[in-house]
Amino acid sequence: MNRRRALKIVGGGIASLFLLLLPVLLPEVDVHLATEILIFALFAVSFNLLLGYCGLLPFGHAACFGVGAYATALIFKHITGMPFLITLLISALSGFVGALIIGFFCVRLSGSYFALISLAFQMFLYAVALKWRDVTNGDDGMGVTRPDLYLPGLGTLSLMNIQYLYYVTLVIVALAILACYLFLKTPLGHAAVSMRENVIRASFLGYNVFLTRLAIFSFSGFLAGISGALFVVFEEFVATTVMDVHMSFTVILMATIGGTGHFLGPVLGAVFLMVFQDWISSLTKHWWLFMGIVFVMVVLYAEGGLIGLFKWEKIRALFVSEKES
Amino acid sequence: MAILRLQDIYKDFSGLKVLFGVSMEVQQGECHAIIGPNGAGKSTLFNIITGLYKPSRGEITFLNQDITRSSIHKIARMGLSRSFQIINIFPKMTVFENIRIAVVSRFNRRFNITSFLSRDRKILEESDKILSLIGMRDARDVPACEMSYGMQRQLELALTLARDPILILLDEPTAGLNAEETRSIVTLIRKVIQGKTLVIVEHDMEVVFNLADRITVLNYGQVLATGTPDEIRGSEEVKKAYLGRI
Amino acid sequence: MDTYIIQAIHGLVYGMLLFLVSSGLTLVFGMMGVLNLAHAAFYMLGAYFAYTITVHLGNFWLSLILAPLIVGTVGIGIEHFTLRKVHKSGHVAELLLTFGLFYVFGELVRIIWGSNPLRIPVPALLAGEIPLMGTTYPIYRTFILGFSFLILIGMALLLLRTRIGIIIRAAVSDADMVDVLGTNVPRVFMGVFGGGAALAALAGVIAAPFLSTYPGMGLDVLLDCFVVIVVGGFGSLLGAFVTSLMLGELQSFGVLWIPRLALVFQFLLMAVVLIVRPTGLFGEKQ
Repeated sequence: MNRRRALKIVGGGIASLFLLLLPVLLPEVDVHLATEILIFALFAVSFNLLLGYCGLLPFGHAACFGVGAYATALIFKHITGMPFLITLLISALSGFVGALIIGFFCVRLSGSYFALISLAFQMFLYAVALKWRDVTNGDDGMGVTRPDLYLPGLGTLSLMNIQYLYYVTLVIVALAILACYLFLKTPLGHAAVSMRENVIRASFLGYNVFLTRLAIFSFSGFLAGISGALFVVFEEFVATTVMDVHMSFTVILMATIGGTGHFLGPVLGAVFLMVFQDWISSLTKHWWLFMGIVFVMVVLYAEGGLIGLFKWEKIRALFVSEKES
Repeated sequence: MAILRLQDIYKDFSGLKVLFGVSMEVQQGECHAIIGPNGAGKSTLFNIITGLYKPSRGEITFLNQDITRSSIHKIARMGLSRSFQIINIFPKMTVFENIRIAVVSRFNRRFNITSFLSRDRKILEESDKILSLIGMRDARDVPACEMSYGMQRQLELALTLARDPILILLDEPTAGLNAEETRSIVTLIRKVIQGKTLVIVEHDMEVVFNLADRITVLNYGQVLATGTPDEIRGSEEVKKAYLGRI
Repeated sequence: MDTYIIQAIHGLVYGMLLFLVSSGLTLVFGMMGVLNLAHAAFYMLGAYFAYTITVHLGNFWLSLILAPLIVGTVGIGIEHFTLRKVHKSGHVAELLLTFGLFYVFGELVRIIWGSNPLRIPVPALLAGEIPLMGTTYPIYRTFILGFSFLILIGMALLLLRTRIGIIIRAAVSDADMVDVLGTNVPRVFMGVFGGGAALAALAGVIAAPFLSTYPGMGLDVLLDCFVVIVVGGFGSLLGAFVTSLMLGELQSFGVLWIPRLALVFQFLLMAVVLIVRPTGLFGEKQ
């Protein structure tokens, strides 16, 4: 087993241990933040499926996040007693269906066209949510009560308890991200990546570019729907902000700053953005400016994002110690 | 038996007329070359046959099926493969990965999400086979963009063959190669087209007369002549069109 | 009937403003293939500079000259120092960059001028109303209309009658060809980029007393611009002109007739056009 692999396994082990022990190690307010980070990590990973792996930049990715969010909120409001996991599944499927419909129109195009049409659909959904007050209560939003989760063997867990909410979120997000990771190793996953490299050649090799991209887009919507649902449960509130331009921009920032070239880049970006938001917003209310500048710097000078910097260091460190021994 | 038939193909690009009633047949198992001066419409013809463009008028039949308006991927899946004049590979993927993604398509695993590509033995073996066939074992894990032009041309050929096609269209496979590289790629082409049908567009006359069973001469979007190499060499019309270039 | 005509003129006013902003955006896209999101920030900066110059130097007319100059220079700087660098990394990187710049400018404005809307008083010369069709109409809006038309004519003359204009139009059509023919294409790009920025800023200046100045104005006009260039055609000035006016009228009457649906309708229109005719009504087929 080579050095890099060993390092990865050890690093992964430490990270997993930390995540599992987090509620014990850190105060409640940090557990709260950690839960939010997990949710956005999934959202950012779903986004990067399109940007990093398919080479398509959507300006309106918050659409499916918002669809999942509203699905959950509406189920909680109108159907009492629906098990939490079923609600989650339905929300994810809503995100999937939403992405299927939007994707049907979007994935025929690429580049700026793709970005804009994705934005058009998101703005359309935003406008609908804003105006359809009877259903969504517009920008005033709706309050949501965190449900109880019944697990056979463990009993009923009230998600009002932040520790329970954290662990449930951790498990769901971890499984979703794992599913995404495994998906990219399948032939379909590889096909999508090849289209990023050379879409014409892929076509001539017999690939139906439209259907392949639609499949990825829909899967991305599924994952975004999950994160949207978790977000609503976490916030105990849903409003049009879940699918406004700002939300779309946030996920673009996260994925890009973290690094779109690596699977875990967006996760790092989510951590970075949320930790810094927490830290800097207490110092100044202009922390978005700071984020914006970091973003521009990354685009100009560090295309690989934060995780790109990370890799160099490691490799350099490996080189140095090998020379010494 | 004619496996590819073009009937009266016209192509008009919003006023720019490129092809005027091109008709030709490709017999099974033959090597058929298309030659002609620049601008004669050769690449356009390839693009129309493979589905990138639709003809303004006319029909194309492949294996007795009408493919005139078929999509690119559908035509490819029927067993018609093409190479490109300008190298069209997957630059950041390794040579092996390039071939592998083509093989995935060949075995119809394009939408497979139940297996890991790196563990799929059938695909791996077939990819290795093609790698050996094309003589690029040593470059297996080299990113495609880092290879020399000559090797990229070889990879270009490999991608065209990876689907084990029935009909191969090669668009100037020796473009940009020096004499030695040309010779080796011609040898390679001879080796790999055993039992297949080949249509090749070429400017290098030596290559053409080396490989071709029949030649079609295209000039200003029309077929000037079709025949065996000797017939073409002796044709007055062809000589006039080329101004003694043959 | 009269109210309809008044509404129509309202629509025309905003439509012309929108055209001034979106013309630069569509030209830059046509020429450089870059959808410059920061363009709306130029509009916003124009308005804010107008505010500062008017309030602190007491002269609105000065801002008509200064603001476009300043913003145009900023535009040139951005093109030269950032856009050019990122050009080789592809369209996605360019999109990300201009988006980031738009974001940063928005936040800078918030810091420097605050989040509250700012009112710029209409200059005394243009204050008041004139009688029109049995009712009165604000002089300032008539000024916007007239001034925009003047600029429009100026643009048309520049593009159709001057050598620079021919070069620009050629570059929009085929930048590589123009390059091969010997023109300094990077300089043309820089010029058009800066010129477009200045134009957007000018629109911002004259819009400021009319629409008020607030940090979200960039995003609002950007979204409208998107609709304009998508429906009108990427790279087509005629398309931008026709669509801007159409959109101005749509918003004017939409607010009157279908207030709840106006916003929805706009984006649906954009989505439909992108699906049916991605190059827009007047755009060139790729």
